[in-house]
Amino acid sequence: MNVFGSAPKKALLMVALAAVTARAQEIDRTLPPQLSATTRAALERLIDSARVAGLPIDPLYSKVREGVFRSADEPRVIAAVQRLSHDLGDARLSLGDSASAEEITAGANALRAGIRQADLVRLRETPGRKAGRPLTVALVVLADLATRGVPPAMAAASVNELVARNVSDGSLLSFRQNVERDLVGGRSPASSLDARTKSMIDDAERRRP
Amino acid sequence: MSAPENPRWLNEIGDELRREVPVRAAWRSQLLDDIARLPVPTAEDEIDDGDRDSPRRSASRRIVLTPFTSLAAAVVFCALGASAMYVALASRAPSGRDTIASRSRTDPSSTASWSATAQELVRFQLSAPNASHVALVGSFNEWNPVATPLTRDPATGTWVVSLRLPPGRHVYAFVVDGDVTADPAAPRAADNDFGSANSVVLVSGRTS
Repeated sequence: MNVFGSAPKKALLMVALAAVTARAQEIDRTLPPQLSATTRAALERLIDSARVAGLPIDPLYSKVREGVFRSADEPRVIAAVQRLSHDLGDARLSLGDSASAEEITAGANALRAGIRQADLVRLRETPGRKAGRPLTVALVVLADLATRGVPPAMAAASVNELVARNVSDGSLLSFRQNVERDLVGGRSPASSLDARTKSMIDDAERRRP
Repeated sequence: MSAPENPRWLNEIGDELRREVPVRAAWRSQLLDDIARLPVPTAEDEIDDGDRDSPRRSASRRIVLTPFTSLAAAVVFCALGASAMYVALASRAPSGRDTIASRSRTDPSSTASWSATAQELVRFQLSAPNASHVALVGSFNEWNPVATPLTRDPATGTWVVSLRLPPGRHVYAFVVDGDVTADPAAPRAADNDFGSANSVVLVSGRTS
């Protein structure tokens, strides 16, 4: 017996659909339909492997979407996801099992920029670092500096020193911005990093109670 | 500034809710019998609403308690909730239907900047005075170039959009007249797999 009639049923369905659509705007863990069945199957295998390994999978879905948006050919999309998955695994290995999804993703990006796994381990084990303090910002700054042409080892040493002094995340971002400005202005990476790191450390020392 | 027009699906919900609901003849007959059996209300039962002469007033107040009308009311509340949710989402991430018509390159340099507050409201801006269309793409909008258009401030030529983003690390880029470009004022992502670099924004209530 249909007590509701068809109209309220439709309305209810539409409300439910609206709710589902709104939720889907946050995280879409589906593969774009533009991709061929073969590519989708390959990507699903890669993403499933990452999921089983306990790696963050949202960056992998995002990478697929980015590839489709940029009209990359399908083998290139698969290669990009494969590489990212590999980097995520290496980052997790370096940063430890307790690292958050953001830290692992930022760590993977730092590795991609040329930072060595040993530098990530050193960053995690920095003496003097506040317990539980997330490393995400430090890793983002590290990747950015290396991407802008700062030698990775030099960038890692500077960021490590700042993290050891418990320089705030905001200061780390200012540090990045200042170095970027120096580089655009023609200053050498070594000179900029040296001066900016010293200035930041002096500042941190002055603020210390 | 005019109010945004309701989307089609919202109007359809409204139409559905306004439409007369077909009911079975037996049910209607039973309902009318029930109403006829109700006592005629006294003057105290009436509300001073200009409808004092109508004895059906009290009866109609009782029929809202039937299962059907209770469920219909629930549907209406759900629809109102969905509308409110839509309005909230639309105000955060205005959706656009514009297409990227031109491929002429506009220099997006200079004063682009980014900032994130503890409330996770992130303002993206790009100075591109000669651009005719700027959109934001990124991990937060499924890299959809029509999902998040920026609005141009005619006085400064700066394109702006503010979004509420969940905490985390988000990768994004601007699409300036069809060309993808990183935010010159934000940290850069290293995984340049598809031709040009992206930017990174971190959203976190945590500070150190």
